Amino acid sequence: MAAITCEKLTKRYGSVTAVDRLDLAIGHGEFMVLLGPSGCGKTTTLNMIAGLEEITDGTLRFDATDVTWQPPHKREVAMVFQSYALYPNKTVRENIAFPLQLRRTPRAEVERAVADVSEQLEIAHLLDRHPSQLSGGQRQRVALGRAIVRKPSVFLMDEPLSNLDAALRLSMRSLIKHLHQRLQATFVYVTHDQAEAMTLADRIAVMRGGLIQQLDTPDGIYSRPANTFVASFLGSPPINLVEGEIAADGRFARGALRLDLPPGAVAPGRAVTLGLRPEDVAAPAPGLASLEARVTLVSPLGSETLLEVVAPGDVALTLRVPKEWRVRHGDSMTFGIDPARLHLFDRQTEARL
Amino acid sequence: MAGRPLAPRIGRAVLLAFFSALFVLYVAGPVAWLVSSSLQTEAQITAIPPNWLPPEVNFGNFDAILNAAERQVTYETRRQGDPATGGFLPSGAANLIPSLWNSLTVGLWVAALNLLLSVTAAYAIAVIDFRGRRATLYTVLATRVVPDIALIVPLFLVIRNLGLINTLGALVVTYLAITVPFTIFILISYFEGIPRDLYRAARIDGCGHWGALRHVYLPLSLPALVASLTFAFLTSWNEFVFALVLTQNVAAQTLPIVISGFVMDFTTSFSFVNAAGVIAIIPPVLMAVLFQRYIVSGLTAGAVKG
Repeated sequence: MAAITCEKLTKRYGSVTAVDRLDLAIGHGEFMVLLGPSGCGKTTTLNMIAGLEEITDGTLRFDATDVTWQPPHKREVAMVFQSYALYPNKTVRENIAFPLQLRRTPRAEVERAVADVSEQLEIAHLLDRHPSQLSGGQRQRVALGRAIVRKPSVFLMDEPLSNLDAALRLSMRSLIKHLHQRLQATFVYVTHDQAEAMTLADRIAVMRGGLIQQLDTPDGIYSRPANTFVASFLGSPPINLVEGEIAADGRFARGALRLDLPPGAVAPGRAVTLGLRPEDVAAPAPGLASLEARVTLVSPLGSETLLEVVAPGDVALTLRVPKEWRVRHGDSMTFGIDPARLHLFDRQTEARL
Repeated sequence: MAGRPLAPRIGRAVLLAFFSALFVLYVAGPVAWLVSSSLQTEAQITAIPPNWLPPEVNFGNFDAILNAAERQVTYETRRQGDPATGGFLPSGAANLIPSLWNSLTVGLWVAALNLLLSVTAAYAIAVIDFRGRRATLYTVLATRVVPDIALIVPLFLVIRNLGLINTLGALVVTYLAITVPFTIFILISYFEGIPRDLYRAARIDGCGHWGALRHVYLPLSLPALVASLTFAFLTSWNEFVFALVLTQNVAAQTLPIVISGFVMDFTTSFSFVNAAGVIAIIPPVLMAVLFQRYIVSGLTAGAVKG
């Protein structure tokens, strides 16, 4: 096991700063997900941890050891790539055995390790094939096998599931989670898929423009987003963001729309953005703020129903309601909203209030 | 195709066959004549109309080449042989076999060293991210912009001052200067076509740069490597101008120089020259046959990635 410490980690390409003074401490055996849109610096960060990108500035430590200038093959990390990166000229067996052979592991031990790993990943019957003869899911299993066969203390994964179809992605996701539980190693996982991040992570670092926007547990990120970017990046369908201000009576106001807020939340007159998760609506009840809206679109999902509604002030919202609600296009309805579940952000700084 | 009218199909086939035949004649004709005339006597090849095929197969020219060392060539023996029947031997004939070995030696050294130098240079430029890698590549390529002929005099002076005139080493060094930049260029585009993730995986799995070169780049660029080997050998084998300037006698002269010496001021035995020509094309042909399945994909490798 190893803890990874990034101190003011910086990567510049010419005048472009890809990662900007990143501070991140990843604990022993932690599953850390770096989440963000493309170009946010998450893969660059991963590559710096791997040693594949030179670090422009800052310090990288594995436990107490400074590895900033260590080449990748001295760092004892394993990595899984989006493209699988299997050696096309080697068989599955040779691919998995390769890292061990480079470490001059005795032959008998290599054979035992390859057999063991291929058993775990259910690829024992594929050992003599070449990568070109495998399906995408099988290739990714082989790539995982090549990574775990060395029993490294740090696993790095660069969007490993992005090239797989949806069903396969789900099963590989749980496979990776099982692996993490069994191996007790430190995982750093890069993805732009919020569902992967939520399901896998112990903690998520949401990145944008080379900076960490928020570092927290999945629940913390989802229920207390640090700013509007984080709020809108997680959640499907995405959070409703409505720009408005705080009225004199302490309520949120946008045109004809008025919504109760928790008492004393924000001083009146401030320009804010209101965040409402689609699922945070209920039937009207005492203690809940009420919202009148007209339904413009009904999309049943089976387990629940998505509604597009227009609230007073021409505010368009997406809401998720139980399938038992009988809603039809054109209905006018009243929804109940728990003020404690509303998110408020400063309109200028976009930061949570 | 079933529905198309018959006439255009036949016309197309005829046209294709006609131009294919024309092309084959154009490319293979001279070679065929070379081989055919090497098996004839001087009188037979100078006959009009020409004998396209040997009236009788005659290995006299080859016999003369292989035994040239034992035959004395003087003004008298030249005259004894009737020029019209080809008993004539050029004075340099005895040098032919030694020059064949010179050509082989130089060619193999050039092929091997060219690959060694180019592979390492191409790897560095294609894979390692260092300051000035573009500039390095352009500098290497810029050396090929200067026509060879313009370099002859300076090169001669350098080689002479190094005391290397009339050595095989001088030829090897000179030919490498021709082949290495081009080979680097070919290999770079091939290496850049190999997915970067494979390099990254190899580095993570425990390879240094030598390991990545050995385990990833070399095995995956076999066609380009074979094409480079062939290219370097053939360039060395066929080169004339530098060899003419840098070598003076049998110690270092290569096949093209010795064969060109057979064209004499008194008289020239065409059948003999052509027999020597046949010997000169045997090694390249063998090489082409041996490596043909690699060469095609190697030569197109630089052109289209992926």
